[in-house]
Amino acid sequence: MSRPGFVLEVDDRTPPVIVHEGEGFRLEQFPLGTRVIYPPEALPAVPDVGAAIMQALLHPEDSEPLPALLRPGMRLTIAFDDISLPLPPMRKPDIRQRIIEAVLTMAAEAGVDDVELISANALHRRLTAAELKSIVGERVFRSFYPQGLLYNHDAEDPAALTHVGLTDQGEDVEINRRAAESDLLVYVNINLVAMDGGHKSVPVGLASYKSLRHHHNSKTMVRSHSFMDHTKSHLHHSAWRMGRLLADHLKIFTIETTLNNNVFPSPYEFLLKREWEWSVKDQASMLAVRRGLAVAPDRLRHKVFHDLRAPYGLTGVHAGETEAVHEKTIANVHRQQLVEVQGQSDVLVMGVPYLGPYNVDSTMNPILATCMGLGYFFNSYRGQPLVRRGGAVILYHPVKPEFNQLHHPSYVDFYEEVLAESTDPAVIEAKYEQQYATDPWYIHLYRTSHAYHGVHPFYMWYWAAHAMDHVQDVVWVGGDRQAVRRLGFRAASTLADALEMVSGTVGGSPSITYMHNPPHLIADVR
Amino acid sequence: MARVRVSVRDARAVAREVGLTGARAVGLGGAVDDVRQVARGWRWGRRSLVPRSAEPYVEDAEAAVFSTTWSRRPAAVAAREVAQKAGLEPLFRSQVRPTVEGLDVLGRVRPPVIFVANHASHLDTPLILLSLPDAWRRRTAVAAAADYFFDTWWRAVGSALVFNTFPIERRGGSMAATPGEVLDDGWNLVVYPEGTRSTDGWVSRFRMGAAWLAVEHQVPVVPVAHRGTFAAMPRGQGWPSPGRRRVRLRFGEALRPAEGESVRDFAERVRLAVASLLDEDQTTWWEAKRRAVAGQTPDPSGPDIAQWRRVWTQSAPPR
Repeated sequence: MSRPGFVLEVDDRTPPVIVHEGEGFRLEQFPLGTRVIYPPEALPAVPDVGAAIMQALLHPEDSEPLPALLRPGMRLTIAFDDISLPLPPMRKPDIRQRIIEAVLTMAAEAGVDDVELISANALHRRLTAAELKSIVGERVFRSFYPQGLLYNHDAEDPAALTHVGLTDQGEDVEINRRAAESDLLVYVNINLVAMDGGHKSVPVGLASYKSLRHHHNSKTMVRSHSFMDHTKSHLHHSAWRMGRLLADHLKIFTIETTLNNNVFPSPYEFLLKREWEWSVKDQASMLAVRRGLAVAPDRLRHKVFHDLRAPYGLTGVHAGETEAVHEKTIANVHRQQLVEVQGQSDVLVMGVPYLGPYNVDSTMNPILATCMGLGYFFNSYRGQPLVRRGGAVILYHPVKPEFNQLHHPSYVDFYEEVLAESTDPAVIEAKYEQQYATDPWYIHLYRTSHAYHGVHPFYMWYWAAHAMDHVQDVVWVGGDRQAVRRLGFRAASTLADALEMVSGTVGGSPSITYMHNPPHLIADVR
Repeated sequence: MARVRVSVRDARAVAREVGLTGARAVGLGGAVDDVRQVARGWRWGRRSLVPRSAEPYVEDAEAAVFSTTWSRRPAAVAAREVAQKAGLEPLFRSQVRPTVEGLDVLGRVRPPVIFVANHASHLDTPLILLSLPDAWRRRTAVAAAADYFFDTWWRAVGSALVFNTFPIERRGGSMAATPGEVLDDGWNLVVYPEGTRSTDGWVSRFRMGAAWLAVEHQVPVVPVAHRGTFAAMPRGQGWPSPGRRRVRLRFGEALRPAEGESVRDFAERVRLAVASLLDEDQTTWWEAKRRAVAGQTPDPSGPDIAQWRRVWTQSAPPR
């Protein structure tokens, strides 16, 4: 039986605690009384994945069974979450492969000929053939990719987009034409965190910039409290309006999956354990890994981390009508990630790990590190933020000003030009977003190479807007001083120094909360 | 790239200067720091501790089934004899001054028996074992908590070899040998029915295991009471306090379960016998006897007073 998450209060018996910091981690001795939030342990996995998928497809939520929706002569499109999910990538076979194979088997039995598969990458970079293959598996890849029937969504191809309509609040709903004109759109999702899934799948994953700009903006983000709680997120409210409009025009059969917290394979299991329960073997593994990383060249260290494949277990698969499915999915996510926390604190401490959704097989540049820390981790709450308004956030990450030129070309300019001018999301949005979003060179790289869209770094900055609006001070422990200054924050060498630096805001003996993740957790702050 | 040789001390100073205290902390110095931090944080060489706020979330350890049959075979008995007589006994007597009374009861009872004692210190077991006549000592095994004494192989081997312990499961679970089997093989048992060492030196509730064993296997119970071990080496202390403190041990008349007597009733009778022995040790046999007959034996769980006063009383060496 897996144990629930809980809040530890650091006392004289508490050993040092793991804090992730990019491609590495450190052991931190937090001040006495610090609250450390531990995520629940991995839930037991569904024992028979194949049977669970069949059960979901044959007995869907608020929908006819999938075979009843399939008929000869129909246009069937299968869209799936791209490589930004799950994190870290999943050990083969990917759950999307298992589901797509099951769906295609039913389609073949029903005599459906016109089938296309689309990676719902929105403004993310195009996946390489190898990445597509790793998601859908060899059989599907071989059957569809050479014929051009398995491909990436192109949000900048006017011919491949269709404007479905406007929501009651005047938001454009423009999505992939093939998907919109299909008789049935099957969406296969991995709901890693509470923000994923639901109507955020089709109206976002298959959308264009014209549609995305309605919710991916600083104003919406500041009002989304938080975007890990779709009932309180303005971003999700917008996506829900779009999704409901789409559902009136298009038959969507949503398949959502949830995974457990088994994110670290051997020999990194110690990262999943509570420190005081480390065996001698865990301590030795930690020391070996830590010393190995300390002497490894950067390239090797990068490879060690990015080659990690998580031995996730499936905790649930649900299919059918989007909202009915998502309700069950969210319940599963909460079962795995929710931790009850009493009250806010003055300081929130978070360790930013090596990986976020946008640097799979890539570099976590300073903008992505900010998005990860102040965006995803900060927003990983329900109710109210873990830190009080006007409090301080302390993050751990090297924040090296290094960029992947293939994947993140517009990030370089965003860092050099935009952030040098202003770090205020609203100012940046008003002054620069259009220019970057419509820049022909970025669009060309997005469409033909493997670059994130020109506007993507802006979105990353907006993810952090709520945190920037909420807290007074942000300090990066171990961060590159110049890079951190460029981001508009401050850097410290140690936690003690960081606490000293924020003492002007929160006083000399602040209450401190440390979020011990990954694995993912959602703080249910009462 | 040119390589520059710097000393470890310099490298660490530089690392600190530039904030490289994380995964990139430099070479040998970083390794030493890491090992030192882990050794301190995880209390190498000592029992690990659970943070107080995490205690409700700690799962009961699935105690490994550890067979101690070997420790009751002739070779182990011989090794134990050497360990106890040549090592343990001189060491024990160099640290405390034991006084033993009532050994004559052993002349009136046939083994196997169950020695039931109060439990206040790790000194209790050597005190009882080393007080027994050699013939009895060699045939006496000690029931020890599986989750404490048998949690690692080296602790298990050590305690089984020197003290002839065998694991009993305090929280229920599988065991290699049951106390009943050890009794049936003709071994005497030492059992502490409180299940754990006292936190303040006073006697807490007696569990029924020892009484149940006596009723089930129809063996007598020899009550044993000791005073002073809490004062000499209380819970949390790894070695006896200096000054060769006095410890007192008293054996009582063997008790046998009466025909049809329930385990509960017998357990209560055993507890009263231990209480009476404690009373006897503090006063005289005659006074304790008269109080026992009148049902006025002082409650061994001590007076209902402030905790510090309870500890204070018990931390004084026995007169």
